[in-house]
Amino acid sequence: MKLLSSFKKELILASRSFYFYIELGSALVILAVLLLAVPENFSTTTTQYLYLGFPQAEKEMYVDTVLESESGVESEMVEIEAGGKTYDAQLITTDGEEIYIVDSEEAVEKLAYEKQAPGAVVKLDNSNQLSFKYYLQGYESTRLKNLISIMFNKDIGTLEEQIKNQEIRSLTADYEPINDRENTIPPIISFSSGLMGMFILASYIFLDKKEGVIKAYAVTASSVWQYLMSKIFVVSLTSVISGLIITMPVMGFRINYGLVLLLLLTTGFFSSSLGLLISSFYNDLMKAFGVIYLLVILFMVPAIAYFIPGWDPFWIKLIPTYPLMQGFKEIILPKGDIIYPLIASAGFLAAGVILFAVTNIRFKKTLSV
Amino acid sequence: MLKRILNIFARDLKINSREFITLYIMIIPLVMAVGINFISPSINDTTVNLALIKDENLEQAGYFDDFAHVELFDDRQGVENRIMARDDVLGVLPEGDGYYILTQGNEPGFIKEYAKLLNVLYESDVQLEDARSEIVEFGRTVPPLKKRLVNMLLLLISMLAGMLIAMNILEEKMDKTVSAINVTPTSRSAFILGKGFTGMFVAVVSSIACILITGFYDVNLGQAALVIFSTTILSLIIGFLQGLNSNDIMEAAGSVKLLFLPLGGSVAGYEFVTGNWQIFFWWSPFYWAYRANDNILSKSGTWPQLLLFVGIILAICGVVYALLAPRIARKL
Repeated sequence: MKLLSSFKKELILASRSFYFYIELGSALVILAVLLLAVPENFSTTTTQYLYLGFPQAEKEMYVDTVLESESGVESEMVEIEAGGKTYDAQLITTDGEEIYIVDSEEAVEKLAYEKQAPGAVVKLDNSNQLSFKYYLQGYESTRLKNLISIMFNKDIGTLEEQIKNQEIRSLTADYEPINDRENTIPPIISFSSGLMGMFILASYIFLDKKEGVIKAYAVTASSVWQYLMSKIFVVSLTSVISGLIITMPVMGFRINYGLVLLLLLTTGFFSSSLGLLISSFYNDLMKAFGVIYLLVILFMVPAIAYFIPGWDPFWIKLIPTYPLMQGFKEIILPKGDIIYPLIASAGFLAAGVILFAVTNIRFKKTLSV
Repeated sequence: MLKRILNIFARDLKINSREFITLYIMIIPLVMAVGINFISPSINDTTVNLALIKDENLEQAGYFDDFAHVELFDDRQGVENRIMARDDVLGVLPEGDGYYILTQGNEPGFIKEYAKLLNVLYESDVQLEDARSEIVEFGRTVPPLKKRLVNMLLLLISMLAGMLIAMNILEEKMDKTVSAINVTPTSRSAFILGKGFTGMFVAVVSSIACILITGFYDVNLGQAALVIFSTTILSLIIGFLQGLNSNDIMEAAGSVKLLFLPLGGSVAGYEFVTGNWQIFFWWSPFYWAYRANDNILSKSGTWPQLLLFVGIILAICGVVYALLAPRIARKL
């Protein structure tokens, strides 16, 4: 009962503070950016520069083959500038590629260097076989360079035929991907709603410390844990509301909101408890700033692994935002794994309870720091 | 006037060093720069991850290892379990006389094509020793991802510097000394510059240190200093806005989150949004700062281009300042 009235009081105070509206306002801004400025699918285009050292007829044959290889491939004559010189080029635009066919080997070298994109020269050698020369920047991995160096050791036609015939099987045949806009939701929710709780709750406590609220609890009938818990409830509620503001208009009713609520609440609880624990060691936000900021930055690192799924070292899985982002992703995937977000929620709840218990002991002992 | 500005700067520096916050704000970016150095080589080495059965074909495993990351498992089930993990790993499993590629189903197309090509090359006995292609390298050693991370770090530094200014002003507000300035010989502009100096100093020192730590020794430091200077003007305005608009630390902390929006949005806009859609980000000085830094870190920036970008940043800052000047004056 005391907890409920504490919560009500905190909620009234929060509704009068500017912070509460900043939270809701920023959720609305994120939503507007997602809906208006983020395309459903990011179009990333790679550029290459190519010189074909063949007779004109064979060059045209190559271009025709590329143009006919898929629909939507276009060709036009353009001029490109590099290092103060202008080069004529035939630009072939495919779905994700721009290939500039230029008139000389020197142009390929200059353009590859100036534009920092790969270049290739294809010629016929003395034995009338194709020879390849690649211009790379130097930072490409050894493994990639190895592949490039032998890629065309075989006849291109035979290679393409063999690749086409290479059998490929899938363990989950019914996988349905999400678009790029939907794919940005898990990291946004993780930082915006989930982990800002740590920062905000620590700020809340420092404010109350400054005003002597925590010490005043020593002479009330209410216990410190109820006071702390009511703060957590308010921050978690704010994060749930802002999370739903972002998620609902983008995802509609296609996802399981029970799981969304569960994950938002448990991560809110975990991060708020972490914020509480940090605030129990310091007098004010300025002193705790370093720890909080380092943690926020550390928590951002799994976003790299999220967007580069081939890079997933073990240590990154130990950072709490990793299961948080992956859990959200499973929730928004059309046939996502339900077990993963449940296990992640249980983990966050358990970790939050432990952190809360430790913090409560610290606050009870000191009533301030 | 200069003396008064320096006095305010020296006083802030002294107070900040007592609170350790200046030290934090200077050290955190350096720690992050070291972190970028630590993770970027392994990210850059990412091609494709393959899972194979141990002892099934040692020669094949050795062959693939020259082109991809290879993990070995005791049996087929082990390979399947690994494929079903959250990252992108493909299996190459034997059947009859050949091998097939096993996927989870959610991998991007280019990863599957890479694995198919590798298996075809192996089955065709194309060896690395027989390589016929010549590779010419330009000697650039910094991968694009590292450049992006450093660029983001530079923007973050300017934001941290803005926060430092905000906290300095907040401290004055809480001590109720802001209005007291009006009865001293210090002018309002001297106060603003003096208060901003600490943040600007921190931003310039940290940014240059981070550029050097991350290995960008050969970028044009003059150009970098120019962009850093313009972003610190941005920090100054941000800091003042935060500091004057917030009544307590709680509100200042909340407004930090608001600042992450234009920063994150501008970076995402520049990196992911193509063509004419980028117009939607032109209003953000962070967008121009990121673009200018990108040119500098890529060593492709020309002075006229950079001056244009810096001019745009300063113009946007000028407009924001002109709009908010009456408010700042009132709050002071």
